[in-house]
Amino acid sequence: MVLVQLFGCVSNLAHTVKRTVLLDADPTAVWEALTDEALLSEWLASEVELDPREGGELVCRFEDGEERRGEVAVVEEAERLAFTWHRTDGGESSVEWIVDAVADGTRLTVIETATPAGPMLAAAGWAPRLGSLRLLLGRLVLA
Amino acid sequence: MAAQPSPLPGPLEERVDLVFGALADPTRRHLMELLAAEPGATATGLAATLPISRQAVAKHLKLLHEAGLVSSRRRGREALFELDPEPLGEAVAWIGSVGTEWDRSLAGLQRLLAR
Repeated sequence: MVLVQLFGCVSNLAHTVKRTVLLDADPTAVWEALTDEALLSEWLASEVELDPREGGELVCRFEDGEERRGEVAVVEEAERLAFTWHRTDGGESSVEWIVDAVADGTRLTVIETATPAGPMLAAAGWAPRLGSLRLLLGRLVLA
Repeated sequence: MAAQPSPLPGPLEERVDLVFGALADPTRRHLMELLAAEPGATATGLAATLPISRQAVAKHLKLLHEAGLVSSRRRGREALFELDPEPLGEAVAWIGSVGTEWDRSLAGLQRLLAR
């Protein structure tokens, strides 16, 4: 029992949140909702500025006054968008949006992972870091 | 003697990093498991149940202590180790608030695309 609780806590330590939603729209419409500033401002934050290119800037202004800045890391047209942003109260994290066509619409997967800021990991760059976090999470779950 | 709190450095990212590093090793995770079952264990006692030396156990415990996952207190010449769940609580809080935010915004996206 203790072990189950402990490993429950330990796997959470990977600081990863994953959500999957089914959307009643085709992947092209979903991609537009993920990359168009006016559409983003209707669901992600109250005001969103996004330059949807690798290295492009992201600014999200929220109703409570928080301004969250970020940078686009990966753009794979109509398939995947990844960016990092800095949460005022939660530190830096990376976010990945994955778009998949399914029989009756589109599946969107969101993965947000806190970014550890150690020198070794920082030097390794964003993508390998995310990969190693996933490996770590996998090992912890299997442990 | 008073319990010696584990040292937690300042910024969240640094702490997360230390915790990650500490947990990346299967022996250290096993040590945490043993400490959960037996709070107040010594490095010698822990080494007796593992195929590694007391010195190796002490080294792993030092890293866990630096990550804030294990606290120690002294009894005579021996250090007694305990699991310290505080960094785990921080992780759970992060997951809770980030998850809630995505649930809310993705519900908004679903409404937007259903129009």
